[in-house]
Amino acid sequence: MFNPETLIRKGLPKGHFKDVAVRSLLGGLTYLVVIIAALLFGKIIIDGAPVLFKAEAPFVDFNFLTAKNETLHVFDDATGKRHQLPASAYNDYLLKHEGATIYNEQTYSYSGGGILGPIVGTALLTIGSMVLALFFGISAAIYLSEYAKQSPFIHAVRLAILNLAGIPSIVFGLFGFSVFVLAVPIITVTPSDRSLLTIPIFIGNAVISFQGWNSSLMAGCATLACMILPVIITASEESLRAVPQGFRDASLAMGATRWQTIRKCVLPFSLPGILTSSLLAITRVAGETAPIMFTAAVAAKDDLPWQGLKNPFEILSSQVQALPYHIYTLAAKIPSSEYTQRAQYGSVFVFLVLVAMLSLGSMILRAKLRAKLKW
Amino acid sequence: MQTAIQIQNVSFAYGSKQVLHDVSMDIPARQITAFIGPSGCGKSTLLRCFNRINDRIPGAHLTAGSILVHDIDINRRDIDLQELRRRIGMVFQKYNPFAKSIYENVAFSLRVEGRTKRSELDGVVENALRNAALWDEVKDRLHASAFGLSGGQQQRLCIARAIANQPDILLMDEPCAALDPLATLKIEELLMELKKQYTIIIVTHNMGQATRCSDKTAFMYLGKLIEYGPTMQLFENPQNPQTEAYVTGTFG
Amino acid sequence: MSPEESSAHPNPHRFQKRGFSYEQAIKYFFASNAGLTIVILAMIIIFLLKEGLGFFPGYQRELEVYRVAGLEFVDISRKNLTAHEQLSSVLNRAYYAEINGQSFRQMRRSQEASALFNSYTDQTGATRDLVLNNSRAAGDPNSEMLAALNANFETQKAKALSSLPPTPHLTAQERTSLIESIRARAIESTEDPPLVTTLAGEFAAAQQKFAEPLQGMRATIDAFAAAGADLSSLVSDMTATVTATKEKIQGADILEKDRKTLLAAAASARDPVEREKLISEAKASLADKPDIEGPIQTLLEHRPDCVRLHTALKETSGGILNQLPITLTQPEAARLLKVARNTWPLFIADLEKTPAAINAWKHDAPVPLTSAISSFLTGKDWVTGGEWQDFYGILPLAAGSLMISIVALSLAIPTSIGAAIYINQYASNWEQSIVKPVIEFIQAIPSVVLGFIGILVLGTVLRDISLLDSLHWVPGFPLTERLNIFTAGCLLALMSIPTIFSLAEDALNNVPSAYAEASEALGASRVQTTFRVVVPAAFSGILAAVLLGFGRVIGETMVVLLVAGNRIKIPDFSAGLGTFFQPCHTLTGIIAQELGEVPMGSVHYRALFVVGILLFAVVLTINATAHRFVNKMKH
Repeated sequence: MFNPETLIRKGLPKGHFKDVAVRSLLGGLTYLVVIIAALLFGKIIIDGAPVLFKAEAPFVDFNFLTAKNETLHVFDDATGKRHQLPASAYNDYLLKHEGATIYNEQTYSYSGGGILGPIVGTALLTIGSMVLALFFGISAAIYLSEYAKQSPFIHAVRLAILNLAGIPSIVFGLFGFSVFVLAVPIITVTPSDRSLLTIPIFIGNAVISFQGWNSSLMAGCATLACMILPVIITASEESLRAVPQGFRDASLAMGATRWQTIRKCVLPFSLPGILTSSLLAITRVAGETAPIMFTAAVAAKDDLPWQGLKNPFEILSSQVQALPYHIYTLAAKIPSSEYTQRAQYGSVFVFLVLVAMLSLGSMILRAKLRAKLKW
Repeated sequence: MQTAIQIQNVSFAYGSKQVLHDVSMDIPARQITAFIGPSGCGKSTLLRCFNRINDRIPGAHLTAGSILVHDIDINRRDIDLQELRRRIGMVFQKYNPFAKSIYENVAFSLRVEGRTKRSELDGVVENALRNAALWDEVKDRLHASAFGLSGGQQQRLCIARAIANQPDILLMDEPCAALDPLATLKIEELLMELKKQYTIIIVTHNMGQATRCSDKTAFMYLGKLIEYGPTMQLFENPQNPQTEAYVTGTFG
Repeated sequence: MSPEESSAHPNPHRFQKRGFSYEQAIKYFFASNAGLTIVILAMIIIFLLKEGLGFFPGYQRELEVYRVAGLEFVDISRKNLTAHEQLSSVLNRAYYAEINGQSFRQMRRSQEASALFNSYTDQTGATRDLVLNNSRAAGDPNSEMLAALNANFETQKAKALSSLPPTPHLTAQERTSLIESIRARAIESTEDPPLVTTLAGEFAAAQQKFAEPLQGMRATIDAFAAAGADLSSLVSDMTATVTATKEKIQGADILEKDRKTLLAAAASARDPVEREKLISEAKASLADKPDIEGPIQTLLEHRPDCVRLHTALKETSGGILNQLPITLTQPEAARLLKVARNTWPLFIADLEKTPAAINAWKHDAPVPLTSAISSFLTGKDWVTGGEWQDFYGILPLAAGSLMISIVALSLAIPTSIGAAIYINQYASNWEQSIVKPVIEFIQAIPSVVLGFIGILVLGTVLRDISLLDSLHWVPGFPLTERLNIFTAGCLLALMSIPTIFSLAEDALNNVPSAYAEASEALGASRVQTTFRVVVPAAFSGILAAVLLGFGRVIGETMVVLLVAGNRIKIPDFSAGLGTFFQPCHTLTGIIAQELGEVPMGSVHYRALFVVGILLFAVVLTINATAHRFVNKMKH
């Protein structure tokens, strides 16, 4: 028989301070991460936002987004006034003030004008690679979730997906370089020296030459698509599997074929989920630098990708600027000074806003989806 | 006869969902009391109020009434929750030994109390396992993982774990739901032994089990206590038509 | 029903499939897309191997040339010379650390005064030059333009004077007087303000004062440094000889390669005239076998000299150690002296072994393929594009990657697992709804942005912190390099926190709530339940989370490329914890940095692919181990 009085504690519960200490330590670690993240973004927002926003209406300065990237010239004129002009405006200035002497001239590569080129390039790379990855990824996921039974083939596919997902992005860069830049087949009349194999196709002098696509938009898109494929497959399969088995059973029981079932009763319900998780994949594709360094990106380019082309398909085989690569160039290749900060912080700010919008969008869509689809 | 737990006008809710309505009863010490009733009638909730394990669930709270364990209101602010739970053991529906050795499973409640003397633990573990009729089966592999045991053995291990620290009351939430008939039989035999030392409250779906083991039975329905009395009386001569319908199998 | 029967049957039953099925085609289409993943993985492996495997024979040939031409022979002596130089540099650093440490106050005062003045001249220099240039050119001091320029200078001056750096070691009075003297300074003056000169003088005097008792040490260091002079001149003589030989051999190699290409082209040429032409060109390209025996023999004539000089150096060096002071008063100086004392026996032992190595060296000993492989895997030098000899040893890169991972993981593991436990076990719903999106957002940040933050924000902040006097005791402070292992580690920690956090949180979430319930029902408190039941049950999942975080850290490229400092050298571990503040280079960074610049198909190009293969293998092994833990968790 126990003494019920022992149930009433005197003072604080035993080990109370230890509990409080452990909890505060863990909570402290958690909020440390949050605070550090907030500080870093605060810094970028404070330094980057002024590039894009201004005090008077309409408050947003689109010039930075819509101007091409140029070299920045900084100089004093004879009255001691300091000018900061991008290359094209600088040339105009020289023409207008012919014979004027310029003092203390300094040039900063990539720091003048805006970032239209990199934005366009990243958009093209992202669209291209997402189209490829979604097509192949959703198809593969349909097979895995709707057709696959236990077999060595499926086992191998799953193993491949798991391994692909873990490969470092720089290795994808090497892969893309050695395959898409140097080895994939192309139809040409003038095969290159490095071609691994040429097969005549008997239309004029044309041959299929395994010489790669050079550093180009297509090569970059293909590399990025390979990299993101496992992510898309996994997310799509998850969405497909979330559709209740009953939907399929009901459809099949009414005599629909498997493909009809998939098209009418499975895909429509899983598509929102697939697209939501693809938004996150977009942030990854848009942000990767290592895979496009050798396969698509170029630091400086005067024209936009579609300018000065003989036919519209040439856009695929041209190099592009890309936002992450541009940031890399700005951070690594030019010294930081008060004149380069606008370009540096501005680009990072714009990029971060894009990423934040995408990931916020994906979070909101996911929350909505979870609320809507309850079966 | 001594009363172990007095339940006085208890109403209980999960958030805004009321699950117990004005339940009052006295549970006698050193006897087996069975709670029966259809799924969702609140019998498990009531059981989980006795050691306040419901506190874990966000929003769960007592809306009225009080529960007295040996005349102490267990919902007092200054109750020592850990001590309360050491005094009131609990066995769950699905056997849930920890991912530790058999020995460490049984010694767990002593270790968290800060009693770590090896010789003391050895004695307690052996005693608990003997009381749970498991000692002979596991004495050679005390330090092997608990997951190596069969389902029935794992559940008896959970019982040993619950009685290791000499509680006064033992709560059992459908202890045989996940077991086959043979293992169930063993547990029931064990209950008859344990009853000599402990006050036992058992929630069960199985009316056979209630008649075989319990001294008193309470029938609950839709969060209300419908009828409570000696087991024989409740099954053979129910006072309430709903009880009669349930025990004769007309519904539920 | 067997196939034969069914095909024989004119009217098959209507449940039976007939001929080609549209449905089946669709199924095979999807299956082939699923198979694409296998194809991609296979292509990655095949192409990495295709580009990479040629490295080892190529490297073997380079090492062969290195030996045959006699570069290896020269390197025996050169290695000792380098060690000798390093040792005297360490001693010198100890000497100056001692003096500067003792005159620390004077040094800081002088530095701060100069820094203040420099900040002023940096900001006003451009406008000042404009005034001076124009006043000289125009000659008319009253011109309007000059007035404008002067006004411009004055505003710039005012601006500069209002944003001067802090001078914690100067008294308020000194600072004011310094600023006043700058303000009063004539525009054309080129002299430093008096206080700057005075403080520099004080510093020099202090240095001299403290150098007085160390004269013996100075003389010893100088004697030691001078002891290597003879060997050094001999080495540079030999260097000229062997470089010439190497060039000859390489020239012959290139001609030989051309010849093979031409012959291959001739073999596939369809036009007989063309073929004849190619073959004759190939014949013309046939190189004379370069004469290597002659130069080698001249080189080997230096053998006795080499041995003699080494013995002399050993004898001098052996005595030096006893003449050095036992210890020094300043911590940094004492540390450096200790380093020198510790390396001394190794240095002497190396010198001891050298004569035997010199005599045993043979220029015609074969270089097996295995030595190319082992020299890649265990080589301490990654030297490329040099005039002397390229070496592809991955140890410096692997060490860099590993050190950065150690920093990153030791920061990320406690924070992310702590946060996962907190969020999973104790946090209220609204806390979860704040922390989880923030961490998810950190995960979405592109690595290049983190690298940018490292260069422009974190690196500078860390260096400024390290300059604080109160943190002088931290090893490695004040930082000499803004970009170093620690900076990169911090950012990678931030990067791996979301990975480890979300996987660890999943693992905790997957622990059945029945465990926690049982534990609490047995009288355990919340914290006891967490650490005795929930965390152990989730342990293998948490371990997997850490491993996957490690895989992510070691495979990350952009952050380390931007922030690690890119110095290809095994970190100097004698600096203790200060080692973590040295710059380094990494496996991933080297690929990103050098692949764009190397000629395709060269040994260097292939070496980068081998590094890629290694990285691929390491990361896949880590991930496979992690997934094994995850599967174990599923019981």
